[in-house]
Amino acid sequence: MREIMAIVRMKKTGATKKALVAAGVAGFTAVKVLGRGRLVTDPTVIEECKNKLLSMGIDEFSEAADTEKQVTGFLDGSRFFPRRLFTILAHDDDVPRIVEAIITANRTEHGIGDGTIFVLPIMDAIRVRTGETGEAAIW
Amino acid sequence: MLLIRAIVRPEKKDEVLANLSTAGFNAATMVDVVGRGKQKGIKIGGMVYDEIPKVLILMVIPDEEKDKVVKIILDTARTGKEGTFGDGKIFVGPVEEVYTISKNSKGL
Repeated sequence: MREIMAIVRMKKTGATKKALVAAGVAGFTAVKVLGRGRLVTDPTVIEECKNKLLSMGIDEFSEAADTEKQVTGFLDGSRFFPRRLFTILAHDDDVPRIVEAIITANRTEHGIGDGTIFVLPIMDAIRVRTGETGEAAIW
Repeated sequence: MLLIRAIVRPEKKDEVLANLSTAGFNAATMVDVVGRGKQKGIKIGGMVYDEIPKVLILMVIPDEEKDKVVKIILDTARTGKEGTFGDGKIFVGPVEEVYTISKNSKGL
């Protein structure tokens, strides 16, 4: 018995749900969370992203210094981004299949920020409706 | 690898995360939660408040970093000299496997 914790992009929630159904897992719990992880270390990518964000922010209502500060906070890794945390209970044999399905559904061209999957051991599970315990309580 | 679940006061959240970040543990996930503890909530007059807002911080770290991370959270999240009720808890559990989606690889 394993618990799979997957942190994915908000936009990929639907794709993840579809992938889980295709992998034969219907049940899951999802929570909105804020998170941060590995940093982009390539300075050219950061510069490009910064220019793009700055060009979007300048209008007659916002001060240039404020925008600059906000954009810098966005890129220096101290900012938390919204993500969706999926919790899935699975039998041991199904874990590689589910992990594979989540990875395939969530990879993007950005190469960073696509999320992380954790696999945790679970001691016991009980279905409230029937009182079944252990492997029978999962699905 | 270990999963650290730390429940801290919402007003201490930023300080805890900043200290962890400076110590090299930048990656974290946080969730707004409500809960009660040993004190069974707070009683003000006739009203009992047993859903007290807290922040749950989730972190997965290598085994050998556990003491360091726990110490940082303990030192930062405690209020007052001796600590007070409601400062929170830290739970540590095992993690068997970690996958990074963008790298399509195993490991943190």
